[in-house]
Amino acid sequence: MQPRKVLVVDDSKLMHKMYEVMLRQYPLVYAVDGREALERLREHPDVELILLDVNMPNMNGLELLAGLRAEGNRTAVVIISTEGLEEDAARGLAAGADAYVAKPFSGGEILDVIARLPQPAAERAAPAAGEAAG
Amino acid sequence: MSEGFPAAAAGSELVEQLRATLERAGELLRILEGNLQQASAASGAGDAAGGENDLEHRLATAESDVRELAARLVESEHQVGRLMNLYVAAYQLHASLEPDAVQAAIAEIAINLLGAERFVLLLRRDAEEGCEVALEAGMQGERSGLWAGGGYGGGDPMVDATLRDGVLRLGPAPGSDALAAVPLRVQGAVVGAIVVLKLLDHKPLLRPEDRDLLDLLSVHAASALFAARLFAAQDRKLRTLESLVKLARGE
Repeated sequence: MQPRKVLVVDDSKLMHKMYEVMLRQYPLVYAVDGREALERLREHPDVELILLDVNMPNMNGLELLAGLRAEGNRTAVVIISTEGLEEDAARGLAAGADAYVAKPFSGGEILDVIARLPQPAAERAAPAAGEAAG
Repeated sequence: MSEGFPAAAAGSELVEQLRATLERAGELLRILEGNLQQASAASGAGDAAGGENDLEHRLATAESDVRELAARLVESEHQVGRLMNLYVAAYQLHASLEPDAVQAAIAEIAINLLGAERFVLLLRRDAEEGCEVALEAGMQGERSGLWAGGGYGGGDPMVDATLRDGVLRLGPAPGSDALAAVPLRVQGAVVGAIVVLKLLDHKPLLRPEDRDLLDLLSVHAASALFAARLFAAQDRKLRTLESLVKLARGE
């Protein structure tokens, strides 16, 4: 996947900086909790990937994810958490996440996970310009 | 970003170059294999044997180069990751002059970059013996009682030694629950320590590169905290003086 824009949802300023350094090739927008993430998604409808921390104040990552999926929002979501246990990964994936990464992680790991995600359905379905003309 | 982070940017470029070289080496290898198959098919006589041997030798050399390049690529990616961690940690430690923000940065580094689940930040008390526990995380399950009541009066041999001589120590050590005792040094004086007592379950051991991060914390966490506390104290004095001046002026 090559997302047009990435929403980082994490209450840690350190992690915001880390993503800024690791994901220089993607435009990033930031939120510190689930509520702010909903605002950012309204402001940036071109977000194609959400990197979502689980443990946050106000609205945690799993609550946000469940809300998005209930609304029919299919934006790709990668759960990022210090909770590395299998059941926590399973909870995130059951809530509709597309992948799970445990902290601490390297830039290579997160880039590999993003690369393996499928391109958004709208882009896959859209014919190339040449095909449409032909 | 590359201007603010030249070392990591250079590392990323190196990784890209290595990746491109590796891909090119792979292509060459495929070409060589193709040539070898063609030569094998075409030869049926003894005069082809010399050419075949030459191709086999070149193929073996190319395979060896690919393996070496792959190893260098992995090592370069590893170095880039290490530099990123160090840069982000140093950046965040010095991003604020508020003591609470600096302590929060220390906690975030310990949790997110080091993978610490249970740790304490000890700071020497000015007038009394022992240290105050300025910050703690995940201490609910801690049973030794050494860190209870907001203070540490000694008792863990590894931590006590680090507080005494300012040397970073990694556990396990006899009689100690600590996995790491990181001295906080400012201008040669040990002003406290960060004690890591447990890592996250999915990170069983401290890795060699974690040592770099602990070294950075040892110097930068201490100086950032010291500067922030100094700034806060001066700021309080300034506000008091301003209030007195206003009072004197009858404002």
